[in-house]
Amino acid sequence: MNLIERVIAISRRRSPWICRLNAGSCNGCDIEITPLLSPRYDAEQLGVELHGTPKHADIVLISGTLTLRSRQAILDIYAQVPNPKAVVALGSCPASGNVFAGSPLVLSESLDSIVPVDVWVPGCPPRPQAILDGVARAAKLLEEGATKSQLESRRGRLS
Amino acid sequence: MAMLKTILGNLLRPPRTRGPADMPDVPPVYRGALAHDAARCTACGTCAFVCAPKAITFTQDPGVSVSWHFFIGQCSFCGLCAQNCPTQAIGLQADAPGATNSAAGDGLRLESVVRLQPCTRCGAAHVPLPDAVMEALWGVGEAERGYCPECRRRAASEKLRAAFVPVQEAHHDR
Repeated sequence: MNLIERVIAISRRRSPWICRLNAGSCNGCDIEITPLLSPRYDAEQLGVELHGTPKHADIVLISGTLTLRSRQAILDIYAQVPNPKAVVALGSCPASGNVFAGSPLVLSESLDSIVPVDVWVPGCPPRPQAILDGVARAAKLLEEGATKSQLESRRGRLS
Repeated sequence: MAMLKTILGNLLRPPRTRGPADMPDVPPVYRGALAHDAARCTACGTCAFVCAPKAITFTQDPGVSVSWHFFIGQCSFCGLCAQNCPTQAIGLQADAPGATNSAAGDGLRLESVVRLQPCTRCGAAHVPLPDAVMEALWGVGEAERGYCPECRRRAASEKLRAAFVPVQEAHHDR
């Protein structure tokens, strides 16, 4: 890794831009993101900035139950995020469907089966600080080149 | 003047921003990470029954142990399990569960093993009652401490019978 690549890697950790994606959430997790961006919990102390479009983001926060209709949207939006990218799953719903599991329009499966998830933040909803911790972990993975998408593209380049 | 006082006050006060690891004081009823105490668990299954998202399940290894499984990725932290646990084996702790890197393993799933014990009378494997329950139901130093539920029921009915029918007479009847 030469000096410029090293600087780029460090700046990925020091300033991760996030984009949030509601995949059918009850809005609990999304409401917790709002105080995260407020001065009290202050995501910007870690350089985190919220962006409205996935095309500017490094980290996608996916919250909520996965539904039949949101499945394709998740795939489309994930494809729009430029590489390298990380995915943080917020709350219990993406992991299992939580209380909604088993209803006919809900995919009762883990988000991992749709897009590669790097960090899971448990909670229903998770605390703002837990979300911040998850984002910080994802940023660390981005710096190390250890997110699942990065590992996969490296494997693709090698083979 | 009032403005100056405010500015001075703001300069002297510490910042209100919380660091990522800085957990604020939470009320004692805060529902955080789940903890299970195998020594108090009777494997009655009430927690698995009341759990709405089915985050708690039981598996058994017949004759050896009963395992309590908890998947945090399916928990909605409603606290019904802790509320309904008759022996208070489940507690929701005040610390928030941390982020993890994998949904399958590390940290998201908890397993707690309740070992079965042989009955001191008939030898059948059973879940031992926790000491607190034993004291409340059977008193301290009872002979029936290590009994299985079946033997305990038998002992109780024998005691009841002895209380009504004098022992000699009972022998005479037979």
